[in-house]
This record gives sequence, structure tokens and C-alpha cells, in this order.
Amino acid sequence: MKRDIADATSISKEDLAKLTKEANEEATPSRMKIMWGEFKADKPALVSLFLLVFFILFVIIASEFIDVPKMMETNIMGYYNKPFSSDYWLGADAGGRSIAKELVVGSRNSISIAIGLTIISSTFGICWGLVSGYFGGMVDLAMQRVYDFMMIIPMLMTIIVIVTIIPHYNAITLTLILSIFYWMGTSRLIRSRTLAESQKDYVAASKTSGTSNFKIIFREIMPNISSLIIVDTTLSFAENIGVETGLSFLGFGLPMGTPSLGTLIANANDPENITQYWWTWLPAAIEIIILCLSISYIGQVMRRTTNAAQRRGQDQK
Amino acid sequence: MSLIEINDLKVHYPIRGGFWNRIVDNVKAVDGVTFNIEAGETYGLVGESGSGKSTTAKAIIGLEKATAGTVMYNGKDVTKAENRRKLDYNRDVQMIFQDSLSSLNPRKRIEDVIAEPLRNFEHLDKEEEKLRVLQLLDIVGLDADALYKYPHQFSGGQRQRIGVARAVATHPKLIIADEPVSALDLSVQAQVLNFMKKIQRQFGISYLFISHDLGVVRHMCKNIAIMTRGRIVEVGTREDIYNNPMHIYTKRLLAAIPETNVNHREAHRKHRLEIEKIYQEQQATYYDQDGMAFPLVKVSPTHSVALPPELAKKFEQQSESKGVNV
Repeated sequence: MKRDIADATSISKEDLAKLTKEANEEATPSRMKIMWGEFKADKPALVSLFLLVFFILFVIIASEFIDVPKMMETNIMGYYNKPFSSDYWLGADAGGRSIAKELVVGSRNSISIAIGLTIISSTFGICWGLVSGYFGGMVDLAMQRVYDFMMIIPMLMTIIVIVTIIPHYNAITLTLILSIFYWMGTSRLIRSRTLAESQKDYVAASKTSGTSNFKIIFREIMPNISSLIIVDTTLSFAENIGVETGLSFLGFGLPMGTPSLGTLIANANDPENITQYWWTWLPAAIEIIILCLSISYIGQVMRRTTNAAQRRGQDQK
Repeated sequence: MSLIEINDLKVHYPIRGGFWNRIVDNVKAVDGVTFNIEAGETYGLVGESGSGKSTTAKAIIGLEKATAGTVMYNGKDVTKAENRRKLDYNRDVQMIFQDSLSSLNPRKRIEDVIAEPLRNFEHLDKEEEKLRVLQLLDIVGLDADALYKYPHQFSGGQRQRIGVARAVATHPKLIIADEPVSALDLSVQAQVLNFMKKIQRQFGISYLFISHDLGVVRHMCKNIAIMTRGRIVEVGTREDIYNNPMHIYTKRLLAAIPETNVNHREAHRKHRLEIEKIYQEQQATYYDQDGMAFPLVKVSPTHSVALPPELAKKFEQQSESKGVNV
């Protein structure tokens, strides 16, 4: 059987290296290269990327050097200390705690939760949507009823109830609790694309080539909807920063004594803080705006990378 | 014994409606199709769009679930997924698709596309696999620089040849070609068809060639089945079908072949209109009350036609009086 194909051509083992080299010269640029080209063509996005990466690294590393329990101690001498002083770069809040330090640690907490939440909920949502859309029929029907059930649960109320019931919880359990409720949007989006994608001929061709369903789902269909996955994940990351922040703002997020962007913004609940002691809440608010803007710029570049018609980068081969 | 025997194959799709979403009716996409494909031959399946030819192909290869009937391969019924797995059926039966672009995964390089069946059925090491892919590319007339490119970088004809290369990769016994050239322009059609013929000669592959283009079918196939509304109306050799069409549908289909000779334009037009008139008049007799074709009747050892009952009876008597063994 092997002989037959070999007999029909003049290509033999000796030509392999030469032909491979030839093929390599003609190869299309990889996705990473295209993406980098796109970033270079879009300056605001490039700035956003550096800003985001630098900022995340900074808050993670810097917060290692901050003694959180000590930082959270009340210091009556620092009561609403004005910003731009040597001890309090960004001033202090009603407890005399340094806003700058709280901002670093709070950002670390909020961003870590957002990253964890995005990874868990997106992974689950993508798998759910892919499987549901690919198999269709009864599988789809059953999985979509689970989806419907999750959708009708009032999300915020349930999270608040769970958080109040659980006696001891920390950032990790909070991330897990939030993940239960934030996979549905992604799964629905992915399912709708998978439904269309799994009707295409290349899926039929894979089936007739004897590829297993599992492989078809994750090796054939998933790369084809990767543009959707990347964009959705980036944007849901921006959204997820808001989830934890919002919950902490309401007072149901991280346990007391753990700083987060939400608790900092919650300072703005007090009208006096809004008018007089602006430094207690403004930096955190600005930070969130900048983060979300950066992420959406980056998301746009990602989308353009995956759609050849929208590309701006020069080196398109 | 034939390579593959399709026996009374039916594919019905339920129409759901009413209260409780009950099945209220069935769409009979394929309704009792029977034919055999011999080893090394090209079997043509012809019909208008919606006649069920692609569904037949999909049911044979296992993409569509058969409602009833059997497809016998190596003595096993391959309409059951379990038997297909046992036989490594998809190693022996492959498919070429109509739309070459959508049948190649746009996110995979050509090497991975062609190597896909190899990876599933023949576990070669990396070097051997790449060599085999290069050889396959050479067989269909493509250069080695195609290896790391993506499907959208090729022309329609090249893509369809890549599809052919993938189908040939595991050295199958039967390739189902579902309108392989109907999306290509004429010069490229000839090119792809000649590659398919060359491969058939070299490897002794059978084709189930599905098309609505009677010119192409004449070029490729020895035996032809004409399908309409989910049933076969006429089966025969190339000569039977082209020289002695007996079903009004076949006659109409043949009259629709465009003629390049402009000198006889009027005559052709007249002929076409005549056939169409006969078709309209006799439609009621050639199809039953539900608009379905009648069962096939043998009119010669190689030729069967779905004749209406009265005509069929006449034929039987004739053949009996002539003593032809039917």
C-alpha cells in the first residue's frame, strides 16, 4: 500500500530536506507575527499593552513588599492626610491608611480575581458552548436547559447570599463563587458560532477522515472560532474587573480588611469624601477607567489580527 | 462480488409541528435507492439539485443516518457506526467535496490537512509523514512550497486537487466525489478530472461520481444512475443512458445539454421544446399519485427504467415472447 503512492511520484527520501526548506521559505507568517505587526500599526493599543503589562507586573511585585496587616491598621495621626506628602503619596483615608499602598494591594487583589474569574468562566463557557453546539440534538437541548436555569437565577442576589452564608472565605473561594455565575454569556456566544461552524464541509471531511469528535471540537472547530474567543475573553476580562469591584463597592466582595479597588471607590459613598477628600476614591476610579480602556484597545487589535480585511499592519504576506 | 452494495437505502427527515412538536410528516430525501459499485469503476449518480444524490452519498459514507436499508461493505452493514469503526471503513472510503474552500479547514496548513487521515489510520513517524504528503502533492501536480501555506492562498482548482490528495492519502478503495468540479470553470474542470482519472488508473480506485453535468459524467463514468425526487428512475451503462433513454426525465435531462453547434440552433430548440411538451403531457403517467417514480423494470440486462405499470407489463410480455432472460 505504501509502495503504490511512492511509485507514482519521483519524490523520495533524499529530496525531503530540500523540499522542506523550499516550503519553509514560502510559509505564511505566524499569527504572533501578524499580531505584533498590528500592535505596531496601532500606537494607542501598543501604549495600552505596555501600560497594562507593566501595571499588572508592578502591582503584583510591589504588593509583595507591603505588609498588609500593618498597612490596614488604623493610624489616628494620618486622619485624612493630604496627598503628595512624603509618608502619604496619595494621601490617607479616614483610618489614616495610605491610599497609595491600598491602591497597589487592592489592584493586585482585584486584577487577580478578574484574571482567575476570566480563566475559569471562559474556559468553562467555551467548553460548554462547543460541546453543546457541536453535538446538537438531545445533548444541546439538555445543556441549554441548564443554561436557561442559570440565566434565570438573579445573579447578584445569589452571590450576595452565598457570600453572607459562607463563614470563612477568601479571594480564591470568591473567584470560584463568581465563576459559577459568569460562564453563560460566553457559552451562548460560542454555541451559536459552533452551530454554524460544525455544519461546514471541513468538519464533514474530518469525520470522513476518521478523526474523533473530541479532536474535531478542540482541534478543528476551536481554532476557527479563536477570533471570537480572544475578543470575548479580552472584553470579559475588562468586565470581570468590574464584577469584583462592584461587589466590594456594595460591601459583599472581599472580606473586611482586604483592600480592593471596590472598597476604595466605596469611599465615595460619603458625600464629604466626594467634595473634600477626593484623593480617597479618585485614583481607584481613574485606574479602573484606564484599565478598561487599555483592555478594549488591545481587544480591538486582537480582533483585527483575526480578520484579514480589517488589518492595518504593513507586513502582510 | 461488488465492492459496495447499496440496498433500498432510505433517508427520511421528520417534519415536526403541531402540539408537542410531533412528527407530522417526512421529507423523503432518499427513498429506496439500490445500486452496486464494482471495484475500479466509476459509477455516475446524476440528478437535478434536491434529487437526493448528495444525501445518498452522505448516507453511504456515514455522515447522514440512514432511516432504512443497508450499505454492505466487506459483508458488513456500514450504516451502523459500530461496523464502520470495526472495519476502519473511512480508511477505505473517502470523500471529495463540492466546495473546495469550505472542505479544507482554513486554520490548518496544507501539510496538516493532507496528513489528517494519515494520522488517524497510519501511524507514521514525522519524516515519513511529511514525505508522504510531499508525494501526494506531487501526484496532484502541486509543488513542495504548498506545504506550509493555508487553503485560502490557493486557486479553486489547486484547492480541489488538495482535496483529491487528501482523499487519496490512505489509499482508499472507493472515493465518493460529490460534484467535485461543479464549482470550477471549464478548463480547470478538465484538469481536476484528468488528475482523478490518472489516480484511478494508478491505484485502481472506484469512484461514486455525483454530478448534474451530463457532459462530465459521460467523460468519467461507465455506469450511470439517474435520480429524481429521492428515487432512481433509470440505471444503465453510458450507452444505454445516452443512446437509448427511456424515462421522460432522462430524456428531458439529456435535451438540456447545451449544444455548441450554432448551425442547428433552431432544430435543437425545437427538439428541446418537443421533449418538454412530452414531459408535461406524460408526467402524470410516469409518476404515481404522490409524484414519486415507479419501481425499476429491467428492459435489457444492463438497463433498468422506472416505467409506469402499463408500460412495464408490456415490456415484460415482450421480453417473455422474445425469450430474453430478465
